[in-house]
Amino acid sequence: MADIALRPAQLRWAHRPPARPRLARASVYAVLTIVSACCLFPILWVVLTSLRTADSAFGRSFIPTLNQWTGIGYVHAFTQAGVGGGILNSLIVTGCTICCVLFVAVLGGYGFARFAFPARRALYLLMLSTLMVPVAAVLIPLFLELKTFHLLDSLPGLILIYTATSVPFAVVLMRGFFERTPGELADAARIDGAGEWAVFLRVMVPLVQPAILTLAVFQFLFSWNEFLLAETFLSSANKLTIQPRIYAIVGQYSTNWPLLCAALVIAMLPIVLLYVLIQRRFVAGLTAGALRG
Amino acid sequence: MSIRVLPGPAQAEPQPAAAPSRSARRKTKRTFGPRFSRATGSTGGSDARARSMGYYFIFPTLALFAIFIAYPLVRSALISLTRWPGFGPSTFVGLANFRAMFSDPVFRTALLNTVVFCAVTTIIQTAIPLGLAALLNARIRYSAVFRVAIFLPALMSLVVSGALWALIYEPEFGILDQFLTTIGLHGLALSWLSNTATVLPAIIVVSLWQSCGFFTLIFYAAMQDVDQSLYEAAALDGATTVQQFRHVTVPMVRTITSVVVTLNLINGLKIFDIIYVMTGGGPNHASESLSTYLYSLAFGGQVAGAIPAIGYATAIGIVILIFAVVVVIGQMFISARRRAF
Repeated sequence: MADIALRPAQLRWAHRPPARPRLARASVYAVLTIVSACCLFPILWVVLTSLRTADSAFGRSFIPTLNQWTGIGYVHAFTQAGVGGGILNSLIVTGCTICCVLFVAVLGGYGFARFAFPARRALYLLMLSTLMVPVAAVLIPLFLELKTFHLLDSLPGLILIYTATSVPFAVVLMRGFFERTPGELADAARIDGAGEWAVFLRVMVPLVQPAILTLAVFQFLFSWNEFLLAETFLSSANKLTIQPRIYAIVGQYSTNWPLLCAALVIAMLPIVLLYVLIQRRFVAGLTAGALRG
Repeated sequence: MSIRVLPGPAQAEPQPAAAPSRSARRKTKRTFGPRFSRATGSTGGSDARARSMGYYFIFPTLALFAIFIAYPLVRSALISLTRWPGFGPSTFVGLANFRAMFSDPVFRTALLNTVVFCAVTTIIQTAIPLGLAALLNARIRYSAVFRVAIFLPALMSLVVSGALWALIYEPEFGILDQFLTTIGLHGLALSWLSNTATVLPAIIVVSLWQSCGFFTLIFYAAMQDVDQSLYEAAALDGATTVQQFRHVTVPMVRTITSVVVTLNLINGLKIFDIIYVMTGGGPNHASESLSTYLYSLAFGGQVAGAIPAIGYATAIGIVILIFAVVVVIGQMFISARRRAF
């Protein structure tokens, strides 16, 4: 007698190789390729357009012919459109914002995580609730406030606002990291006679170094790409950071596509470079907000 | 036989509390006193002096919060109850600004656009990244290459993305219209950003293009944490790939999904950069959002003779805030209820 009893219907399929996985696999690749192409194509087009002469930008050819390649768009972007100043201002603002946010948030996160002072929970929740406040709701009073302090149209004023709006999220992040660090190391340091500040600086801060780097990357991305606050609080042409500068260029040079595209490429280059250099840290910075928030 | 209870340790002489004098504390800085907390490891010291050091640490945070968030919020609420051109005295008008919104056609359009934009982008910017992440999570080669390609647009700022796509959407000369003309669909080569019917979908496409990579990455990271044995168990039970996705992947990333949904809702409500750069709210307010309307009322007074309506603009800001709060709290309730099952 047979050890295995098969019904006739089962016998029919017994020799068939599974066709579905191969088709499924191919369609997965197809979908991902199409999506990737859609994502990359506009960027590729911008780079190509930035490297051709102004009149050939409207032509039918997608890839410029040999005599249409030129870097004149980039030259004009720097000499006429003030892109260099925009980049410099953005570097200043972003750099200072990162320093300030790291300083305040590491202190604050440690304070909220490690000290059980009264009203700790209430204060923390109060700060947490500001994460859902849209900037537009406080834009006008912030403008009036900066005006009172004579900080309108100044980079320090913008740095101050960027820091203040970024600190709540940064504190949440740092508090989470500090809570995960073991307390025994701090206790050991205290037994050895270290004061609270020494415990903080020598023991706890080095422990959360990866978190600090992650936060720095995240803050760079936010500050570099921020537009609304910069556009509102800066007005002089030489103070504009790169995003308002791009907006001004779009309005002023709307027909000079190579210049425009060159400016766009220059604006996105620092972030792309940062991504290429420290890809893992970059991704960790972005996902840290969502996964741990 | 009787039993006698000997005095136990409770009746022994109580030890003095381990709180040495202040001078002794200078030398031995640490005691494991009665306030040792195991909640987050040890707290900073056992005495109130060390506990209150916490205030020093959080002082900069709270100061910034008070000056640049709390105070402006309160002032915003106050200004929204006035009529004020931005200079000179302001007149208290109570809730007149909010009542005026109902009869303002531009506000109604902006509100509708914002709600539509928010709803559509939340759905597609959650579902599509979820699907893409699932595809990336399958055992395929070159997954890293695809991930980089899909993520690249997320590095662009909204200004750069908007400017880029404004060029693509350019009538006649933009590559979209040129491509449509080349393949013969000349009738479809519209003026995408000047057509009231197509402007909002066109902007939604840009938002999707820019944000897809970020959310895909988040979902991908979450899916990587899912235990492989769950999939194997489901496969043993006869589940197809699609069924595995529906019954294993989706429930396991539920928390992340609610985070993504919340992020999308908040971003959708406060959408400004893309619209401002691509259309400025036009044509004829067809792409106006609450934020762009607020901005044009307060800072965009280039219309001849127009006086900035600061009180009204601030009231719109309060409306955006209320929406955001309602959305976030509602989202929290819904996900809390679902987790209770």
